[in-house]
Amino acid sequence: MSVVEIVPGPKPSIWQRPWVAPLIVFVAVVGLWEALVLIFQPPVFLLPPPSLIWQSLAGQFGALMSYGFNTFLEAVGGFVIGCSLGLVVAMFVARSPRLSELLLPFAVASNSVPIVAMAPIAIVWFGIGPGSKIAIVAVMCFFPTMVSAVRGLTAASPDAIALMRSYAATDWQIFSKLRVPTSLPFVFNAFKICTAVSMIGAIVAEFFGGAVNYLGIYIKTQASILKTPDAWAAILVACFYGLFFYFVIALLERWLMPWRRMP
Amino acid sequence: MTNSVTLNESTGADRQGRSMPRWLWLLSGYLIAFVLVALIWEGSKAIFEIPDYKLPHLAQIAEAFVRPTPKGPVWLVLLQDAAYTAFEALVGFTLGSVTGFAIAVLFQRYLPLRRGFLPYVIASQTVPIIAIAPMIVVGMGRLGAPPWLSKSIIAAYLTFFPVVINVLRGLESVDRDALLLMRSYAATDNQIFRLLRLPASVPYLFTALKISATASIIGAIIGELPVGSTRGIGVQIVVGSQYNTFNPGFLWATIIMAALLGMAAYALVALAEKRIVKWKREE
Repeated sequence: MSVVEIVPGPKPSIWQRPWVAPLIVFVAVVGLWEALVLIFQPPVFLLPPPSLIWQSLAGQFGALMSYGFNTFLEAVGGFVIGCSLGLVVAMFVARSPRLSELLLPFAVASNSVPIVAMAPIAIVWFGIGPGSKIAIVAVMCFFPTMVSAVRGLTAASPDAIALMRSYAATDWQIFSKLRVPTSLPFVFNAFKICTAVSMIGAIVAEFFGGAVNYLGIYIKTQASILKTPDAWAAILVACFYGLFFYFVIALLERWLMPWRRMP
Repeated sequence: MTNSVTLNESTGADRQGRSMPRWLWLLSGYLIAFVLVALIWEGSKAIFEIPDYKLPHLAQIAEAFVRPTPKGPVWLVLLQDAAYTAFEALVGFTLGSVTGFAIAVLFQRYLPLRRGFLPYVIASQTVPIIAIAPMIVVGMGRLGAPPWLSKSIIAAYLTFFPVVINVLRGLESVDRDALLLMRSYAATDNQIFRLLRLPASVPYLFTALKISATASIIGAIIGELPVGSTRGIGVQIVVGSQYNTFNPGFLWATIIMAALLGMAAYALVALAEKRIVKWKREE
């Protein structure tokens, strides 16, 4: 940080702080939204004013946060299972160029498959409870993690490998000291994508059915009985957990890859 | 660029010293993989005595596809539903990518706009925005809008965000030297945009479109889930899950059709990319 301050120059005005413009936009959008709703009076189920959403959020904050936490746990469970399986499989696949040439197209193609549409099958297999949602999230997290990890594990430069070999490094040493650190940026990229994917997967899988104290089902039910402010409040909670999950992983990344902290 | 790519591929094949052509080798690999999956599927079904409603015989799924209905064989009915979903998704995909592109251009031109709005566009990638799908479907249904429109809107906003982010990245990705050169020739902002920024953004656009192709299909399917929808592959999936106990195989058939639809959408965009973007650098 001190490096930055050495550079002489005009002190940036408050308007150039990175958070000022988004804050202005936020206030303006919310204000405009509220004003337009007041003027045009659209039906509440179509577009509730922010004040009503806020009321709904404040009125049942505890309940919504606990629903959100239930969904969040499904997302985390699926994330942990799917990402670990992806990493383990990637370690085997990355060892053989032929195997990865054969399997990677499948894994990439799976990106274009609406995996969440398989939720009914997951419900048949693992029941209507959290199990089926965790399974769907796990499958959704598995493929991006595996693909990125294989790419990362095979990204080490041949020169570096040759150098380690010339120093008689063992396979394990090359793996742990070269391949794994090289793969970390790739893997964390996948992890960050998976945080979003896992919250989306958990919520959408809940649209197919489940208990009421989960966000997805709550949103679907409240929307269908036209209690739109409640559903919007639930979505705010979902966004909160999604961002929280993302920042936890981003923090973990900073902690595990200290050499990347400096721009 | 095309030349160097083909060169790499041929040297790659030579290095590995295969006598078989690459496609034949891959094809046999896929066939073996398919047979393996089929063996594991039927084998585990036999060994663990998994009931049909959990894991139908592969033959049951095949049979579910060809079974006749009053409206023709099942595969034809499913294909029509998939086409309907594809239509909803395509409308949204077009709408979302056009607005997304326009917004990205605005963000590139006007710094204050970008400063104010871009953080939200980026944050949208880490939050489950798809969760507002049921509200759009129910709300627009009450308004009396045509049933496909709400699905298209969901598909549009799922397409919108990745397109904005990637196109903006593409517009900004121009080579500094090229930019300075154009400025030194007194090129106007419009010329720089048309000759430099626009071509630079196309590969990035396609990266986004490939993500969005699948996302828009998923969005349309999710939009078909709430009660009240009558057409589309999402409706068939719900029907399939309701009758799964009596009719194992059909649920799988609907899901396979949805998977094929997603893959087809992706493949179409990838194909267009191959035809249009010939100057793309290796990733």
